[in-house]
Amino acid sequence: MRRALFAITGLAASTTALVVLKAGPDTSRVAQELPASATPGTEESTTAAESTAEPAEATATAVPRPSVSRSPAPGQSTASPAAGGAESSGGATKKPSVAQPSTAAPRSTVRRVFGPVVSNEFGNVQVAISLTGSRIVAAEALELPERTAQSEQRSSRVDDRYSGTAGLVVQRQSADLDTVSGATATSESYRESLQAAIDQAR
Amino acid sequence: MTHPGTYSDRRTGAHSRSGGRPTGDLLPVVPRRGCGGRRLLVGLFLLGLVASVLPWWTDTQAGSLAGGTAKLTAAGQISGLLAGYLLLVQVLMMSRLPVLERVAGGERIARWHRDVGATLLVAVLAHMSLILVGYAGLEGRSPLGQAGVMLRDYQDMASAFAAAGLLVLVGLTSVRAVRRALPYELWHATHLAAYAVLLLGFAHQFSNGTQLFRPGPVRTGWIAFYALVVAALLYGRVIAPLAFNLRHRLRVADVVAENPDTVSIYLTGARLDRLTMLGGQFFRWRFLTRGCWWQSHPFSVSAAANGRWLRMTVKVVGSHTRDLRDLDPGVRVWAVGPSGTFTAAHRTRERALLIAGGSGITPLRAMLEELPPGTALIYRVRTPSDVLLHRELDWLAQARGVQVWYVVGSRDDPGPRQVMSADGLRRLVPDVARRDVYLCGPPGLIEQSRQLLRRAGVPRRQIHLATFEL
Repeated sequence: MRRALFAITGLAASTTALVVLKAGPDTSRVAQELPASATPGTEESTTAAESTAEPAEATATAVPRPSVSRSPAPGQSTASPAAGGAESSGGATKKPSVAQPSTAAPRSTVRRVFGPVVSNEFGNVQVAISLTGSRIVAAEALELPERTAQSEQRSSRVDDRYSGTAGLVVQRQSADLDTVSGATATSESYRESLQAAIDQAR
Repeated sequence: MTHPGTYSDRRTGAHSRSGGRPTGDLLPVVPRRGCGGRRLLVGLFLLGLVASVLPWWTDTQAGSLAGGTAKLTAAGQISGLLAGYLLLVQVLMMSRLPVLERVAGGERIARWHRDVGATLLVAVLAHMSLILVGYAGLEGRSPLGQAGVMLRDYQDMASAFAAAGLLVLVGLTSVRAVRRALPYELWHATHLAAYAVLLLGFAHQFSNGTQLFRPGPVRTGWIAFYALVVAALLYGRVIAPLAFNLRHRLRVADVVAENPDTVSIYLTGARLDRLTMLGGQFFRWRFLTRGCWWQSHPFSVSAAANGRWLRMTVKVVGSHTRDLRDLDPGVRVWAVGPSGTFTAAHRTRERALLIAGGSGITPLRAMLEELPPGTALIYRVRTPSDVLLHRELDWLAQARGVQVWYVVGSRDDPGPRQVMSADGLRRLVPDVARRDVYLCGPPGLIEQSRQLLRRAGVPRRQIHLATFEL
């Protein structure tokens, strides 16, 4: 019984230690994330490549979410490979796309606009939209809450409804979207980030 | 060395190794085994513990645990992973896998099972409460409301709650005080519910576990561990006993009264020369006759392997052992074993001292045949008629150079009091501190002797206890 007490204490202590270790701020990661979330501005797709890579990578390393990696839209086929790199959300595809940004530069008819990071109690939401002129051709979520399996299921439902080239955002061309039932908070944060992105774009 | 004339006596009493029954040659001294295998097991266990938390560590971004609820949820995830791992270890330890029995021994594994069990119970309770409070904080509900939502909306959570309830029940009925108050059969039936825990708790790990719900190496590995444990269970509990019993086909040959309340049961079977066991080990026996077949009881063998027969010597203490007196020759016996590390192979020193109390002589009697000359035996009994296997012991004293002392009388008589003291022990066995000591007998005697031996300077790892009780 003495050993059991020892084991319980030991495991409790090491669990606490693990959580505390992970909770400590990781300076390198914070430094990377700050510019991305602090400058939600309009950028040409070519120049955006450097800074988009960061948030995309951040979400990718946290949880490789299969639902995000949609195939590039037909409207975006003319877009730069850099935009595709950010969209495919895989850290691995980022590097080759950054390596050849100049090829897309002459035909940059597609703009990408980033909304701000909006936090709710489940996590952060950041939305990016792609526009041709003033028309939204695609929307994507760079970050969605996915700390728990349940929250990830909700996020992917919101993502499926809103994002993409044929999602609700493209259909409505505005942030006036129906709330996804059972995912109210995430829907709201999505709309907030989207609205800010639309305001900036126009 | 056999005396055919006394064979018809129907009593294990002849001055011989085996009460006049035919046996094989004298056994060689059993060589010692190290404790390397045991350390390996403990190392593997700790490695698995680290490996089970590793997915969480790599999945969680540094600095992402801002806020109290996130921290609580994270701690809940860790304790969940730990609980999942410990549950599998618990079942694995009870799989009676022959390699585990050989390396660590049934008694030690039973002790580990106890300790890990208590830890598992705490881990499961921590997992539940931390996740409930953490998720409730995330979603702005009360923990109780969150429990309701989880039961209703989350996949596989109803069965997970049932599993947790069963596990708590199993844990509580295993608390010593509770267990003593329960009939053995009830306790045992409750404990079998642990298999249901394994089954009911399985799904929620993969539908809701943050580290496990995504297909990938972690999920595959976790499922593989499950498969491994089930395979071990199947092998240790079903296949190995089946093979053993089909090979040896044990039957009762004879039931002999040793004294008014002790019987020896002789068993014969096929290919007993290929049965490997050591003196001091036990089998779980099931006598396939009316009224007995549904009970399985551990008894140690009271004679070392001799290639011809097996024997157990049993004191009548309950209804089951009373029935054993009336066994007819020819009754089939289902045996699971051999188990136990209370053997000559597990000694750490060359020489040994055995201390027996009453019917506790039986495993020691079997061990005597495998220990080197110079072994000492102290046999505590209340009255001279309680001495079991008297003539065999006398024969062993001569043939294998065993020093035997019968210490007769009640605990407060001057003789026993003198012997059962640190000085008395040292006078009988001057080199007691450099011997392995094997204790078997009533709990009172065991505890008294253990304290005595520690006072006489015997290191703890040289003291071996035969304990069938957990």
